[in-house]
Amino acid sequence: ECGRISLSHPIVRLGDPVTASCVIGQNCNHLDPESEILWKLESELQPGGKQQRLPDGTRKSTITLPHLNHTQAHLSCCLLWGNSLQIIDQVELQAGYPPPTPYNLSCLMNLTINSFICQWEPGPEPHLPTNFTLKSIKSRDNCQTQEEPIQECVPEAGQSRCAIQRKHLLLYQSLVIWVQAENALGTSQSPKLCFHPMDLVKLEPPTLEALDPSPEVAPAQPDCLWFRWESWKPSLFMEQKCELRYQPQLREASWALVAPLPSCTLHHKLCGLLPATAYTLQMRCIRWPLPGHWSDWSPSLELNTAER
Amino acid sequence: TPLGPASSLPPSFLLQCLEQVRKIRADGAVLQERLCATYKLCHPEELVLLGHSLGITQAPLSSCSSQALEVVDCLHQLHSGLVLYQGLLQALAGTSPEVASTLDLLHLDVADFAINIWQQMEDMGVAPTGKPTQGPMPTFTSAFQRRAGGVLVASNLQSFLEQAYRVLRYLA
Repeated sequence: ECGRISLSHPIVRLGDPVTASCVIGQNCNHLDPESEILWKLESELQPGGKQQRLPDGTRKSTITLPHLNHTQAHLSCCLLWGNSLQIIDQVELQAGYPPPTPYNLSCLMNLTINSFICQWEPGPEPHLPTNFTLKSIKSRDNCQTQEEPIQECVPEAGQSRCAIQRKHLLLYQSLVIWVQAENALGTSQSPKLCFHPMDLVKLEPPTLEALDPSPEVAPAQPDCLWFRWESWKPSLFMEQKCELRYQPQLREASWALVAPLPSCTLHHKLCGLLPATAYTLQMRCIRWPLPGHWSDWSPSLELNTAER
Repeated sequence: TPLGPASSLPPSFLLQCLEQVRKIRADGAVLQERLCATYKLCHPEELVLLGHSLGITQAPLSSCSSQALEVVDCLHQLHSGLVLYQGLLQALAGTSPEVASTLDLLHLDVADFAINIWQQMEDMGVAPTGKPTQGPMPTFTSAFQRRAGGVLVASNLQSFLEQAYRVLRYLA
């Protein structure tokens, strides 16, 4: 082996100094025992290498780069051979920042895929490979006492979200959850959250349907509309409340809101409307009185009031 | 202790329990529908003899009846029953691919409910010293026995939960 570079730290904070040394072995000394050991950072020669001859006859050069401002760079140890610069050894330098503190951690219980999905903001780019892990611990008494940890959730590469499977969860027990970020320069953690997974359930929207225009069910009153709805089937076991919004399809019309409404009804009459007018209706529901998140608004149902 | 501790049961606990019962009953209904659709095993009353021979029993809720409601004893029986059904559902694992996911979810939800009850008893300071054990579980020696066992367990669980729902409703 002709020569070997060794580094104080292969990875440093951006802008910090890096110290490297290169030892030229005996079997390379025949080239020109007095030739200077030179350093190149990427393709630029770096002055300031301090050279010494070691007792065993080998030669060593040490250099300190005061500020490494490349997130990635190649440092080469070279010898002048004739009039060509020979690269004897090369190492990769990396610079970046310790992992930023992840923030805006939020989670939802998704009953469709029976998973607990959390997402977060990773924070500014640290320029270093950084691993994020969603960590959680089962706990009691509003997370005062912690019990056994749940299996860590590792997001797919580049993703800032992770889904904890149902089999790892206790839906009605307190859970402490946070995000940990780790890279070569350190570790950081998001603030910890505490909740029951089921209290973060977000339902799918209810289904709104027009009623058959049979006179008994929907006698023609020009200022009324008849329709029915049912909340999302997989959530029927939950007590819920819903709300309706509607607006006439007229320029600059605004939404009117009707709330609270039950989670399902076979037929509902909405009056006080403009006759001979097209209306857009939407509904959404939420777990209630137990906590939850509002569903998105349902797809629009378009109905027309009768002529006067 | 008739109704005393009932007042100490937090409303949110009771609301959660009611929701959990409804969720488990919905899961159980899906299991019954799948066993009926796939194997034409739709009537548990046709499997009573087999149930006796397999040792599939109904969990008692005598302390939860409205005439003789003993809240603490009722919570104990509710928890013990849920532990029994957890074991029975576990014994049914491997019944068939068609019902595997339903069985898994049902088992998880029953386990969740049992833990919820147990922790409430601990919070009230009335939890038994040792956690109840499941006791001997039936051994199924054929695919048919396993499917029929599934029908019986699902049916027993539904009536167990129906009783539980009534008392929880009463307490809420």
